[in-house]
Amino acid sequence: MLLLLFLYISKQLAPTKKISLPENELVLALKSRDTLAIHALYDMYSGALMGVITRIIQQTEVAEDLLQETFIKIWNSAEGYDPDKGRLFTWMLNIARNLAIDKLRSKDFRNAGKNQNIENNVDFIDAQKEVTFNADTLGIKDMVNGLKPEFNVVLDMVYFKGYTHVEAAEELNLPLGTIKTRIRMAIMELRKKFN
Amino acid sequence: MEEGRAYIETGILEEYVAGLLTTEQQLEVEAMAARYPEVKQEIEAIEIALEKYAMSQAIQPPAGLKDRILREVMTKDHIKKAPDPLSSNTVQLNTSHYDSKIRTLRIALVACIALLVISVVALFSTRNQLGDAKNEIIALNLDKQKFAAEASYLKESNSDLQKISAMSDDPDWKRVKLAGTKMDPQAKMVVYWHVSGQHVMLDNSKMQLPANDQDHQYQLWALVNGKPVDLGVFDTKPDSNHVLLKMKEITGAQAFAVTLEKRGGSASPTMDQMIVMGGVSI
Repeated sequence: MLLLLFLYISKQLAPTKKISLPENELVLALKSRDTLAIHALYDMYSGALMGVITRIIQQTEVAEDLLQETFIKIWNSAEGYDPDKGRLFTWMLNIARNLAIDKLRSKDFRNAGKNQNIENNVDFIDAQKEVTFNADTLGIKDMVNGLKPEFNVVLDMVYFKGYTHVEAAEELNLPLGTIKTRIRMAIMELRKKFN
Repeated sequence: MEEGRAYIETGILEEYVAGLLTTEQQLEVEAMAARYPEVKQEIEAIEIALEKYAMSQAIQPPAGLKDRILREVMTKDHIKKAPDPLSSNTVQLNTSHYDSKIRTLRIALVACIALLVISVVALFSTRNQLGDAKNEIIALNLDKQKFAAEASYLKESNSDLQKISAMSDDPDWKRVKLAGTKMDPQAKMVVYWHVSGQHVMLDNSKMQLPANDQDHQYQLWALVNGKPVDLGVFDTKPDSNHVLLKMKEITGAQAFAVTLEKRGGSASPTMDQMIVMGGVSI
């Protein structure tokens, strides 16, 4: 009985520390619905996910709500994650990005945006779901990360904001081949930089 | 190999990782990844690179947000706003999993309490039994001491009786019967005397003398050539451990006599206090 009590207490106390787990343990914990998993995921990835969300939705409050939505969805659809098809972060990032894009396209957000007249609000997706984009605001704060600005721009559009290659080519007024090359080169650069 | 390499060059993997592909295209990429290890490796490398990139671009949310979000995650657990057919299944499974966990814990708790109660009861009953056992051990120890005393008494008297029976076979041992004098005609006793070994023994079991009091003791005398020789004092109170009572040694006794003297004995016998006497038969 004492042992059970200790386990319970240690579980209760654990979240006060920053938790970090190897990916396979994290996946296992998440799928067995161990609350430790969500604590660890938050500690490890909330910053990166917040970064992605903020690129699409700049309003802090809305972005924080979206981060919350993201974690709720991660927790509730953990069953649907298949480690064979990709890494956990890729899956989580897709959830965050899709929620943010959905928000961006939603009527209430557009109306709120108009009412509040927020300065750096982004443009919106039209009824045909074609993406329009304000290229001027892109990639400015990413210049510091050492990648060439043109690489940053395409990476942001495709990877963080969910543009297809075709959409990015149209938006940037570049040939599709150039977009593909830039993305590949940008990723090569990143691999060189991080490995 | 060539085909895998060429596939990588198309740039579709970047789109796959970015989650931009249609379901059909996704299945195609996954099939290729299963077929060509280099495709699978490439996908993972892209993922890791972009993951690290995303990490480097992290914006830390405010510190208080974690508690709020985790609380919301727990309250919104299993509840979905727009359940799709896949997840509705999941929801049910998870709920039953959660319920069964609670049930298991509840059963475990009840079992723990039951075990505790049983343990306490067992402890008390064991304690009582231990007390009983201790008392029993004390009683048994007393019995044991009694039996040991009895056994040693029996052993002693048995060895004395064997000695007496051996005496009758040994011609050197004289059995001298002392008869009552006019002081008490009923009195009598037996003295064993070893002629060559000079030993003198009184037979406790054959002694019939009136009980002496605290101030007086009987004294045994030997008559040697008409002179009384002191052989020691004794009480009528039977010695519980011995049948035979050893007295002082003597040679050349013609007769034995017993007088009642003051406690500790006298130097010479008080003749009017002689209670038994008997001569040694040759």
